[in-house]
Amino acid sequence: MAMSDIAAPTVDVVILGAGAAGVAAAVVAARSGCRVTVIDNGPTPGGQYYRGAPPIDSEPSSGPRDLSYAELRAEFDRLTGSGVIDYRSRRTAYAISRHDDDFVIRLRGDDRHRGEIADFRARAVIVATGAFDRHLPFPGWELPGVMSGGGAQLLVKGSGVIPGQRAVVAGTGPFLLAVSGTLLEHGAHVPAIVEANNPSRFITRASAIRGGLSKSGEFLGYVSRLARHRVPYLHRHRVIEAIGVDRVEAVRIARVDADWRVVEGTDRVIECDALAIGYGFVAQTDLAGQLGAQMVLGADGGLVVDVDPNLSTSVPGLFAAGETTGVGGVEAARVEGLLAGASVADHLGRPPALTRRGLDVVRRDIATWQGFAEALHATFPVRDGWRDQVRDDTMMCRCEEVRAGQVREAIDDLGARDTRAVKLFTRAGMGWCQGRICSSAVDSLCGFGTTQSLGDAAVRPLVVPVPLGALANGQMEG
Amino acid sequence: MSRETSFTFDGAPMAAVEGQTIAAALIENGVMSWRTTRFGDRPRGLFCGIGVCFDCLITVNGEPNVRACLSAVEPGDDVRTQAGDGHV
Ligand SMILES: Cc1cc2nc3c(=O)[nH]c(=O)nc-3n(C[C@H](O)[C@H](O)[C@H](O)COP(=O)(O)OP(=O)(O)OC[C@H]3O[C@@H](n4cnc5c(N)ncnc54)[C@H](O)[C@@H]3O)c2cc1C
Ligand code: FES
Repeated sequence: MAMSDIAAPTVDVVILGAGAAGVAAAVVAARSGCRVTVIDNGPTPGGQYYRGAPPIDSEPSSGPRDLSYAELRAEFDRLTGSGVIDYRSRRTAYAISRHDDDFVIRLRGDDRHRGEIADFRARAVIVATGAFDRHLPFPGWELPGVMSGGGAQLLVKGSGVIPGQRAVVAGTGPFLLAVSGTLLEHGAHVPAIVEANNPSRFITRASAIRGGLSKSGEFLGYVSRLARHRVPYLHRHRVIEAIGVDRVEAVRIARVDADWRVVEGTDRVIECDALAIGYGFVAQTDLAGQLGAQMVLGADGGLVVDVDPNLSTSVPGLFAAGETTGVGGVEAARVEGLLAGASVADHLGRPPALTRRGLDVVRRDIATWQGFAEALHATFPVRDGWRDQVRDDTMMCRCEEVRAGQVREAIDDLGARDTRAVKLFTRAGMGWCQGRICSSAVDSLCGFGTTQSLGDAAVRPLVVPVPLGALANGQMEG
Repeated sequence: MSRETSFTFDGAPMAAVEGQTIAAALIENGVMSWRTTRFGDRPRGLFCGIGVCFDCLITVNGEPNVRACLSAVEPGDDVRTQAGDGHV
């Protein structure tokens, strides 16, 4: 559809993502009188943390009571019901562009309704699209039954289905404990939690932060629950191979040193029928990237959207909140959403919805959770030694079935010196997922690791494929 | 209350809970893979669980390339293993 067909602004603000950040931002912007549209590809609001769960009250929430997630979610539902917030579930924002001073956001229905497309025009946009699990390829990780920790967590939390009877949980970070806890609660046996780092310093680091004590308490709670279930919590161990013919039947684990190099002679095999694995999270920056927003490396070395203290990006009118600005957990996402909602209202010249004191509390909480995120990433970093366990026949790009040997060959023999060259020589990152799963690992295997190299890999003109016919017949919604 | 429904997978009847994703329904029925890859003809199933990796592609009522992790199962769905790019 030609740009000239696009009518006058339909809304003040489009919020991309209805996780903790998007829900909080929508409520605050709506309280200021903004006309808000929220777009999310899930069936219900809540994002990856609250997916499938009804609004809960017991969530540890700092700051004023009316800004807790449970209250915000209840208000979100009220405002949606009364039509103040236009909430579109099961819709994917697949592209975004500038048109004069406005933004044009293009939506597509879910995979069973992908021909249903629509365009929105908005004066401001908040990107709150969250994150996905980070993966470090290892032999056998493409076997069925091996899945991301987040995926396993959602399967159980969202559908009450466990991925297997004996599920090993591996990777790094306190999230492994959350996944294990959920699996145990639903009757799975967890033969081991395989943590690549040494988590003991997390307690000291997190407790040193104001408000961090509750988080380290939560962490210790998990640890003692696992002890009751007699689940071994192995430190400085990695899964170095998934074994099986047509599905995972066992994993080989080994002790690793501080740099994640395998300690000779320590490997052993654990039988299992599922492996939930993840090494932290990668921010979903696609849509901000389409607008050319400035990116930076986050505390965990991953690419995140660069924001100022008001969560404004380098593109005027474009704001970002939650995991897109740095991976810091659900509480950080909620308070960032509050600030982004306030900032967008201010940008549009609307009266503030938060009191001065309220805003001070929000800013203080953001600083707290940033400190928490730094403690997290300092304790649970990704170390270079993982690359030694990648054999030449290890799958790097799952979509295009490109193996590590081909990537190494592109660097060593073909002289590839940047992301684009590696991609063109090998096709790694050119499949259905557009490099979301493999590109940070390929980047690290090549030894790049810069904002430029990661940014080049994250250029995705369409977030999801869109049928040509649907594009040609695109209709405006208003 | 969650209501029971049913669908077929490669012709075999299977039970599901309404609103459940196709991936969850298949895993609950003991099916871990429902696609084979284009080059290696290798089995794949659920991986990221949130619509990012496209490993879980499946054919539903004749339509290929549906992400099983995001799509809710609907009563009477004819769900089939997808080979390669799904176009026969
Ligand atoms: C699979 C998964 C499970 C997790 N489970 C837990 C857990 O149990 N406990 C925990 O402490 N942390 C969990 N996390 C970490 C969690 O991401 C954060 O703590 C929290 O959810 C961040 O909130 P957010 O609002 O920034 O993003 P999210 O909650 O991720 O919300 C972003 C929303 O945007 C939607 N979206 C993304 N792109 C588009 C698009 N193009 N168009 C439309 N909608 C889009 C997503 O579907 C999602 O609903 C999980 C992470 C993942 C990836
Ligand atoms: S499992 Fe990754 S897209 Fe469905």
